[in-house]
Amino acid sequence: MAKPKLTFEEALKQLETIAEQIEQGKIGLEESIAQYEQGMTLVRYCREVLSKAELRIQRLQQRGDGTLEVTPFEPQAEP
Amino acid sequence: MRKPFDPSLVPDPTPTAALPSGPLSVSQLTAIIKRAIETTLPATVHVLGELSNLKRHSSGHLYFTLKDRSSELACVMWRSEAAKMKFTPADGMEVIATGTVEVFERAGRYQLYARKIEPRGVGSLELAFRQLCEKLAQEGLFDAGRKKPLPAYPNRVVLVTSPTGAAVTDMLRTLTRRFPCLGVLVYPVRVQGDGAAAEIAAAIRNVNRCAESLGGVDVMIVGRGGGSVEDLWAFNEEVVARAIFASRIPIISAVGHEVDVTIADLVADVRAATPTAAAELAVPVLEDVLAGLAILEGRLRRAAVGQTALAGARLGGVVARGPFREPLAVVRRREQFLDELADRPGRALRVRMQAVRRRVEALEAVVQRIAPHAYLLRSAVRLRDAEHRLRRAVERLLERMRQGAAAAQQRLRTASPATLLPRWGERLTRHEGAMLAAVRHAHSLLRERVQLKEEVLSALSYKSVLGRGFSITRLKRGRAVVRSLAQIHDHDRTLTEVADGEFEAEVLNLRQLELFE
Repeated sequence: MAKPKLTFEEALKQLETIAEQIEQGKIGLEESIAQYEQGMTLVRYCREVLSKAELRIQRLQQRGDGTLEVTPFEPQAEP
Repeated sequence: MRKPFDPSLVPDPTPTAALPSGPLSVSQLTAIIKRAIETTLPATVHVLGELSNLKRHSSGHLYFTLKDRSSELACVMWRSEAAKMKFTPADGMEVIATGTVEVFERAGRYQLYARKIEPRGVGSLELAFRQLCEKLAQEGLFDAGRKKPLPAYPNRVVLVTSPTGAAVTDMLRTLTRRFPCLGVLVYPVRVQGDGAAAEIAAAIRNVNRCAESLGGVDVMIVGRGGGSVEDLWAFNEEVVARAIFASRIPIISAVGHEVDVTIADLVADVRAATPTAAAELAVPVLEDVLAGLAILEGRLRRAAVGQTALAGARLGGVVARGPFREPLAVVRRREQFLDELADRPGRALRVRMQAVRRRVEALEAVVQRIAPHAYLLRSAVRLRDAEHRLRRAVERLLERMRQGAAAAQQRLRTASPATLLPRWGERLTRHEGAMLAAVRHAHSLLRERVQLKEEVLSALSYKSVLGRGFSITRLKRGRAVVRSLAQIHDHDRTLTEVADGEFEAEVLNLRQLELFE
């Protein structure tokens, strides 16, 4: 299973590497199959990341202690 | 306090009547001069001259002299005013200083208290821009090598901009349209006026500092919509430039329109012509990403299928030509070897048994010739029995070996020949040894028996047949048994033995037996 920490970009990069490796045929059949399975897991993972994430628009506000607070963002009209 | 300049208020240049008749104290004179200057000159004057003796005191106040070909004017600019100056003044620069002339009574000096200095010929902002550009370029803030690449698939984007206005709306609309699986954080700042630059710089630093707690920020867009040069000025400030340069998070600048280029644009990792363009640069189009993913998946599938097919073809090749085509060939070779092995002792045995048989047959011939005793007959039968049993024993042994071979063959079919064959060979060797030992034993037994019979036969000797009418003739001299006419001559004396004794005789009429072939 893909690690949950994997970013979308890392997953995609791994996927490309795997595809290349299998295409070049430098690895053995068993390894190819294992890589293919890993690749398909990554494909599923990437799709999941894209489908699960939804657009969130929020507003940052600096607190007194210098930390940032996330609050809902309401679009304002130009004054 | 002071009124605008009004020429009518300028007093008569020769007001001597008010002066006391005696000598004036320094303070009195200075006061008169001060009043004269202050009442004569307008509150604000603009003086054109060349900057010289420029000194910035540690307090922040700026001291300098304005001069032309024949005169000099001492000037001071207080810290609060000096800090607002966009460009950096330098000796030799021709400027217009704006301020008030006042008398500094304690030193008996008059000087210009400048509130503003403008470079002559070029706008102050433009000069400031050029100066800062030069400085930051020298420090390497614009170096292409220092620019960070933008992430291809950002998860979270921070917009440092005004929360109102077209810029933020454009950016949000574009981001939403292209990549609707994105976290967008708007960091509201003032984007023009005093303090705007400091706010923008602080925002950039804060986002960098708190990126972790926000769950990671992949890219920042810093910008605003279009406006005048003054409106955009905050993005030309050094503090903003430095904050952008120090940012770990890649920054896209998006200030004003296409034609507006600010220092922030030059320092930023990527400059976008407009806020909308910045949003386009920041995120990919989701449909494209999904399409790319599908292509990648297809590549992966095809490659894996290709690999498998290739491996299948190779396997086919191996099977077609290797021992896999005839999986039993190995076993058969072994079987053949086993047969040879079985034959070898068999052959030896057969040779020996033939020899034994020949001797037995010879004995039988003798026995028949000399009318064998019943015991001899029994012995011969037993000999044959022994031979038969021996043969059967050997056959059983061979059968067992064949069964073992069949079992091994069975195991070979299911297990790897490579691991089984050595073990099997070992067993074969063991069988061979056992069989040879058995054969040797059987043979020695047989030989013993044959010997025994021979002994018995010789012990019984010829005497048993003498009773049946046979006799033995020996030469009288030397007592050699007469087997041939060659041994005797006429009138030789012989002794002839019969069952119950012997008698002497004389040889007469030697007659050669007719030989027939």
